[in-house]
Amino acid sequence: MSDEELAKDLGLVSAMTIGIGTMIGAGIFVLPGVAVNADGGAGPIVVVSFIVGGVIAMVNALSVSELGTAMPKAGGGYYYINKSLGPMFGSIAGMGDWMGLAFASAFYCIGFGQYLAVFVGLPAIPGLNSIQVGALVAGAIFIGVNYIGAKETGGIQTMIVGLLLSILAGFSVAGFFSFDYATLAGNEGGLAPGGYGAILPGTALVFVSFLGYAKIATVAEELKNPGRNLPIAIIGSVGIVTVIYAILVTTMLGVVPWPELSQDAPVAQAARVAFPESIGPITGVAGGAAAVMTVGALLATASSANASILASARINFAMGRDKIVTNWLNEIHPNYATPYRSILVTGGLIVLFIALLGQDIEILSKAASVLHLIVYALMNVGLIVFREADTPEYDPDFTVPLYPLTPILGAVLSLGLVAFMDGIEIALSGAFVVAAVAWYFIYARDKTDKQGVLSEHIRSRGSDLPDGVVDAADAVAPTGTENDGPTIMVAVANPRTESALITLASALAQHEGGRVLATHIVTVPDQTSLETAAENRTGLDQSSEELLAAAASDAEAFDVPIETKTILSHRGIEEVFDAARTNDADTVVMGYGGTQFAGGRVEGSLDELTHDLPCDFLVLDGQRLDLSDVLVPTAGGPSSDLSAEVARALRDTAGIDVSLLYVVDSGEEASGREFLADWADGHGLDDAEIRVETGDVEETIGRVGEEYDLVIVGATERGLLSRIVRGSLAFETIENLETPVLLAERPSARSLWERLVGGR
Amino acid sequence: MTSTDDADGQDLLGHVLLPVANEEDAFATAMALEPYEPEHVTALHVVEKGEGVPDKTPVEQSEELASESYAAVRRVFPDADDHTAYARDIVGAIFDAADEVDASAIAYRSRGGNRIMQFLSGDLSLKLVTNAHLPVIALPREDSSE
Repeated sequence: MSDEELAKDLGLVSAMTIGIGTMIGAGIFVLPGVAVNADGGAGPIVVVSFIVGGVIAMVNALSVSELGTAMPKAGGGYYYINKSLGPMFGSIAGMGDWMGLAFASAFYCIGFGQYLAVFVGLPAIPGLNSIQVGALVAGAIFIGVNYIGAKETGGIQTMIVGLLLSILAGFSVAGFFSFDYATLAGNEGGLAPGGYGAILPGTALVFVSFLGYAKIATVAEELKNPGRNLPIAIIGSVGIVTVIYAILVTTMLGVVPWPELSQDAPVAQAARVAFPESIGPITGVAGGAAAVMTVGALLATASSANASILASARINFAMGRDKIVTNWLNEIHPNYATPYRSILVTGGLIVLFIALLGQDIEILSKAASVLHLIVYALMNVGLIVFREADTPEYDPDFTVPLYPLTPILGAVLSLGLVAFMDGIEIALSGAFVVAAVAWYFIYARDKTDKQGVLSEHIRSRGSDLPDGVVDAADAVAPTGTENDGPTIMVAVANPRTESALITLASALAQHEGGRVLATHIVTVPDQTSLETAAENRTGLDQSSEELLAAAASDAEAFDVPIETKTILSHRGIEEVFDAARTNDADTVVMGYGGTQFAGGRVEGSLDELTHDLPCDFLVLDGQRLDLSDVLVPTAGGPSSDLSAEVARALRDTAGIDVSLLYVVDSGEEASGREFLADWADGHGLDDAEIRVETGDVEETIGRVGEEYDLVIVGATERGLLSRIVRGSLAFETIENLETPVLLAERPSARSLWERLVGGR
Repeated sequence: MTSTDDADGQDLLGHVLLPVANEEDAFATAMALEPYEPEHVTALHVVEKGEGVPDKTPVEQSEELASESYAAVRRVFPDADDHTAYARDIVGAIFDAADEVDASAIAYRSRGGNRIMQFLSGDLSLKLVTNAHLPVIALPREDSSE
């Protein structure tokens, strides 16, 4: 079995359990009482509100199923939207999902508090009522459980949901026998005292009871056979839950006249009425049933809150991966292996929401719904974009019926429902969208490099579309590409060359708006264990610290951000490659001497090592840099592009004069001049002095190079770097030249192996 | 790979299975093992599964963690193999992996924590040493002052 299959251990029942367990929570246990009494009394018509909520959820469930089977990835809604509509909408979706889950969790905690208050007297403290106190305690426990990662097994989870369903079934049966149609309809105003216009505002209020089916999609990658199980679980759980809600609410209202229904713990209240006081010799049945209901409510709200906190960590992870939020959030706890920072931040939000807004459960539930509805609406639009852009990798196993009607309906219904929220929630969500967009432009835009299918589609069809559309796509496109804000890693080895290397790196970083990472790689002889070396670090640390401190102060002169690191290793050059890779370096700057510290050990694995040069390499042969002019000999090619970039950086940051040299055979001076002028133009060096010389290439470079302070040589020689490392490079010019030489090598698209090892 | 079919005169450190949790733990564990010069090392990372409930971390993140851990082990033992297992029962997965890679011993470093924390996150040390059917080496912890 492949690793990928091993990672999948959620079957259909488990997936269903996640959906049902998350949805059945505070919504059904708390809101019926609030909803029937809302706005002067909506009355029994709220049963229809629940059903309408189920229909809206079902339409969205179809879309989520298609997207989920196409992209079984952690992150769910955020991931699809970021991928289709780009990172600006991705930011809205990610933040929306995240905050929506925090609001929902706060709501579940309040629900937990309300039922807890049935059992135990909770104290009120100034500023917080007793339910809030209970909710805060519950919230702290849920956060703690997720922080430690002490998880129930799947078996227990299934058992809890099974127990919950049987409790609710028992209640329905008992309710059926004491159901009285007169109780349901015989109150003042009949079935719809608030008129049928109360249905949709009711749905807006209770929609929070349906949040949860999309959680199945956030764990899609862990599902067995997601192509089949994901749609069944999502659609099935929405269907089951809708039926349960309709039965439960009808039963409640047929047992307790709606004006008397409790606004805190309606299910417990209804159970007390529905069950007879005594069955045969057993007395206290009604009280017992109410207690069982209360336990059910506590279990239900707890599992909803738990699942939501976990799902929010998934969304943080997906956002961190796309650099919409800092990856700092996603650090894993060393002992508990949980994304503890994400859990703590989300937990902090939950606590905040409970404390500030917990007095009014409606605000929490509606805020959660609004944010989720915005995400659902975007998701439906995203689905249409995927279909229309005809993305080749978009290949869902499940497709929505009646396309494009279903996703359009999903988007319209989702946004339409938002309109039935109160002014405060709409304002809140509007402010939230503005904040998310602001977040994107201020924080994320220059960090993320993910472009959505939509903007790719628009920009690739630029000529067919109105200018305004293309401009709009450009205006919000991410600017954080791989080339922007690069990391220039410097491998400093000794104090003599440190300053020259850092100066070069800083000039580059300043020019490209990047940062410098100064590493001191300390090679420890094989005979010395790293542990011993680490023990003797005091002396080592001091020299390393001095070196890196000098590097930091050199970089500061350029006003570029610098980070420093000491790396202890048995290996030399290999470690440079490793460090470049793990630190995501875009360019490595190192000394010529540094390439030699590999010693004999590298020989065997060099081929392995150099088969994928991780980034650009600049190797300086020379100890001091005192620049006023540089020479760039070129004959084209990717590595000379890199030399041009370095030359440009030096020119722009330090006002250095650049001369270009092209060596030709005699008689070809004119075409050579033309080539070089073109090349200069194409590389932003049109102000450089152009020199075309004839003769032997190496000899000419050597001769002309004497006149300059630095020669930047692009590695047109195949396998230049590996040969330098091996010490077999017969580039006498360089070795003999008094002038410092900078060798530039850029990995190219063609086989790096071939190029580096010289195409043997 | 050293064959361990025959227990007679078998080298205890012929092929050490090294269960590691994360980058830091992996490096520390490898460093603790390094002075004893094992012949061959296989790093093992067990991704804890819920078997019915979602994992603590997304699969992608778990696998990132695993590969960071392997890289850390290779900083000390460049030739180390790696092995990833997915299971709810971490200790069981360690033993299974030991059989699978034919290890001569399991070397681990207790990750400390007080009793309550060990209880809550499952005391792996105890299970590891009590259920073993092959040698289990407890590596010293440098900061075992607690």
